[in-house]
Amino acid sequence: METSTVSTSPSAAASPAAVAEPKRAPVKQSLHYRLVIALYRIFAIAVLYLVLAGILAYAFVMGFYAVNSSWAAPVILSAVDEKSLDFRDKLVISQQTIEDLKVDSNKLQSGLTEMKKHRGALLELEPELQQAIARERSHNRTTGPELATLDQQKQADNVKTQKVLAQLKEVEANINKDLSAGLITKGDAATQLAALNTAQGAYTDSRIAEILLTDSVLDKTTTGTNSLDVLEKQAELRSEVAQLDVAISVAEKQFQEESRQIDRLRQAIITAKQSPYYLNASGQQRLNFAFVPYDNQANAVAGAPVYDCYLNMVLCHNVGTVKQVFTGEEQAVHPIFKTQIRGFLVQMNLDHAESAKSKTVFLGRKPVLF
Amino acid sequence: MAPILLWLILVLCLLISVVKYLMGIILKFSFPSSKARKDYTYEPTVSVLMPCFNEGKTVYETIESISKSNYPNEKFEVIAQDDCSADDSYEWMLKAQRDFTNIRIRTGRNEVNSGKARSVCNALQHSTAEVIISIDSDCIFHPDAIRELTACFAEPGMGSVGGRVGVRNPNDSVITAIQTIVYYSAFQLYKIPENWTRSVCCISGCLFAIRRELLLEIEPVIRARHWFGIPVNQGEDRFLTHQTLLRGYGTYINNDALCWTTVPNTLSVLFKQQLRWRRSIVRDFFFTLRTLPQHVWKLHPNTVLTLVLVPLGALVGFLVVVTALTTDPLAWAGPLPLITALGIGAVLTWVIKKYSAREAVAHPLAFAAYVAWTLVSSLFLTPLALCTMDSADWGTRIIEQTEPQEVPVGNINS
Repeated sequence: METSTVSTSPSAAASPAAVAEPKRAPVKQSLHYRLVIALYRIFAIAVLYLVLAGILAYAFVMGFYAVNSSWAAPVILSAVDEKSLDFRDKLVISQQTIEDLKVDSNKLQSGLTEMKKHRGALLELEPELQQAIARERSHNRTTGPELATLDQQKQADNVKTQKVLAQLKEVEANINKDLSAGLITKGDAATQLAALNTAQGAYTDSRIAEILLTDSVLDKTTTGTNSLDVLEKQAELRSEVAQLDVAISVAEKQFQEESRQIDRLRQAIITAKQSPYYLNASGQQRLNFAFVPYDNQANAVAGAPVYDCYLNMVLCHNVGTVKQVFTGEEQAVHPIFKTQIRGFLVQMNLDHAESAKSKTVFLGRKPVLF
Repeated sequence: MAPILLWLILVLCLLISVVKYLMGIILKFSFPSSKARKDYTYEPTVSVLMPCFNEGKTVYETIESISKSNYPNEKFEVIAQDDCSADDSYEWMLKAQRDFTNIRIRTGRNEVNSGKARSVCNALQHSTAEVIISIDSDCIFHPDAIRELTACFAEPGMGSVGGRVGVRNPNDSVITAIQTIVYYSAFQLYKIPENWTRSVCCISGCLFAIRRELLLEIEPVIRARHWFGIPVNQGEDRFLTHQTLLRGYGTYINNDALCWTTVPNTLSVLFKQQLRWRRSIVRDFFFTLRTLPQHVWKLHPNTVLTLVLVPLGALVGFLVVVTALTTDPLAWAGPLPLITALGIGAVLTWVIKKYSAREAVAHPLAFAAYVAWTLVSSLFLTPLALCTMDSADWGTRIIEQTEPQEVPVGNINS
C-alpha cells in the first residue's frame, strides 16, 4: 500500500505541506496466485537457462566449425539417385556407341582389305600391259618395214599382172575366132576361157591382198586406233588405282578416328567406373560415401579412421575407415554454415551403419581429444 | 510447415510495417486532413504530472524546461511525485520548487516505492485540472509543448494526445545514433497512419496528455493491474493509450509538441529499456487476445491489426531468427540486410538533418549496426520478456541500493 505526500511551491502555498494519498485497504496475494507465480518462475528460469544453453551451444558449434577442418559430411546415395541414374544411362549409351563403332570399324577394315587387294591386282596388270605394248611396238618396228617392202613388191607385181591381163582380151577374142572357125572344139574353148577367168580372179585376189597388206603396214608403222584403245585402257587402269588410293586413305583415316574414339570411350568408361555414382548405380548393396572439403584433403587417405561424434563434435568413437578417395570435384552445402563449398567424395567402410546418417564425421583424428 | 507459417506471419508483420511507413509518407505530404484540428484558443487548466525515481539533477532541468512553457502560467501546474528515490532526486525537486516560482509546483513523495504507474495515479489525486499531462522526469520540453497538446483536445472525441520525442544525445555513440533514426522515423512516419484514424496504439509516456475525466475513469484499472498478484508498474503509457481507445476516444500524436529525451548510450542500459518495453508489448498482446472480440467490435481495423500483429511479429521473430540461424546461419551476414540498413540509414539521416538539425546524426553508417541489434532484439528480448513478466521495477533507473518493493494488491476485484 503506497501513500504519498505532496508539497506545493511557494507561489502556491507558504510552505510545503503534506498531502495524504487516499488510503487503500491492503490486499494480500492469494495462495492460488502465489502458486502460479512460483511455477511460472521455475518454468521461466528453466526456459531462460535452456535458451542460454542453446545460445552458448550454438555459438560453440559455430566457432568450432569455423576453425575445425577435419570434418566430412556423410552422403547417402540412393539407388534411384538422379545423378547415379544419369550416370548409368550415359555409361550404357557410351558402351552402345563403342559397340557400334566396333562394327563400323570391322566393316571399314574389310572394305579396306578388299580395296587394297583390288589395287594390288590392278597394279600387277600395269607392267604386263606395258610389256605387251613394248613388245608389240618392237615387233612392229621390225615387221613394219618388211611388210612395206613386200607391199611395194606386191603393187609392182599387180601392175605387171594388170598388163598381162590386158592382153587376155585378145586371147579371148582369138579363142572365139578359133571356135567360130572350128579350129577348136567347144570344150577346148571353154577350158581356155575358164583358164582366163582364173587368171582374172587371181589378179583380183592379189589386189585384195595388196590392200590388206597396205593396211597392215599402216598399222605397224603408224599409231592406230588399236594402239589408242590400249592406251585408254592403261589410263583407266591408272585412274582406278588413284581412286582406290583416295578411298583407301579416307577409309584408313576413318578407321583410325573410330579407333581413337573407341579408346577415348573406353578410357572414359574406365574413369567412370571409378566414380562413386557408378559404384552406387551398379552395386547391389548400399555404399557409404562422405563429402570431404578441400581443407580436409590431408586427412582423406585410404585407411584413415572415421570418427562419429555426439552433438557433431564430442564423445567421438571410431566407426570405420576410409576405403577409397575419388578425385572428381564435388560441390556441397556446408552442413553448418549452409554455404557452397568445394571438395571431393570418399568411400567409407562403416562398422556402424547409423553413422552414415550423421551430419558430420571426422577423418584421421577426434576433433576435441575425446 | 511450421517454419513456413512462421515466415508467413513475419512477412505479414513486416509488410504491415512497410505499408504503414509508405502510408505515412503519402499521408504526411498529401493528406493534411490526417492532422488533427488544433484550436490554440482552447486553454484548459493543465496538471503536468511528473513521476520521478533516481533521476538526480535531471529532474531539476526537466522542471526548468516546463517552467519556460509559453502556456498561461495560471492555467497549469507541475505535480512532481518522487517514488522513494535513493539519490538526491527529491532534493532537486524541492530546489526546483524554490527556484521556479513563476509556476505552481507541487512535490510529493510516496512512502513506499510503488512504480511509475502508481506514482502517476498518486500525483493525480492532487490535481483538479481539466487536462492531465504525464511526463518523464528525464526529458526537456519545448515551450510550445503544452499549448500544442491542449490545442488538439479541441477536436471532439480526442481522448489522449502525445508529443514527439526527440533525442538529446544523437551522437553519443552508435547506439544513440540508431535510436535517433528509429525514434524519428517512428514518430514522423510509422505513427502517421494511426494518427489518420485517430487510433495511435502507443503514445509515449515522455509526453502524454489525457482528459482528466478519462484518466480518473481509467485510474482504478491502472491501480488494479497485476500479474498474478504482482502489481504491474511498467508500460502505463501503452496501457493508458489502449484503454483510451477501448473507451471510444481517439488518440493522436502531435509532432509539433516536442520533448527531448536522453536515450541510453550503452548496450546494457538500452537492453534493459528495450526489455521493459518488450514486456509491455507482450503484456498488452495478452490483454488484446483476452479481449479480442471487444477490440474487433470497437476499434478501427487498422488499430486491431497493429495491436495484434506488432507483438505477434516480436514473438514470431524469435522463432524465425532461431530457424534462420540453424538453417542458414550466414544469411544475416550477407550484403542485403547491411545494404538495406545503410540505405534506410542514409535517407533518414539526410531527412533528419534537413528537418530536425538538432538531432542530426553525424555518422549515418552507424545504422548498419541495426542489423545486429535486430538479431539481439529478436533472439533475447522476447524470451527474456516472457520469462520476467513478474518484474515490477523501474527498469533502467534501478540502482543497487534500492531494491524495488513489491506492493501486494491482490485480486482485481478486491
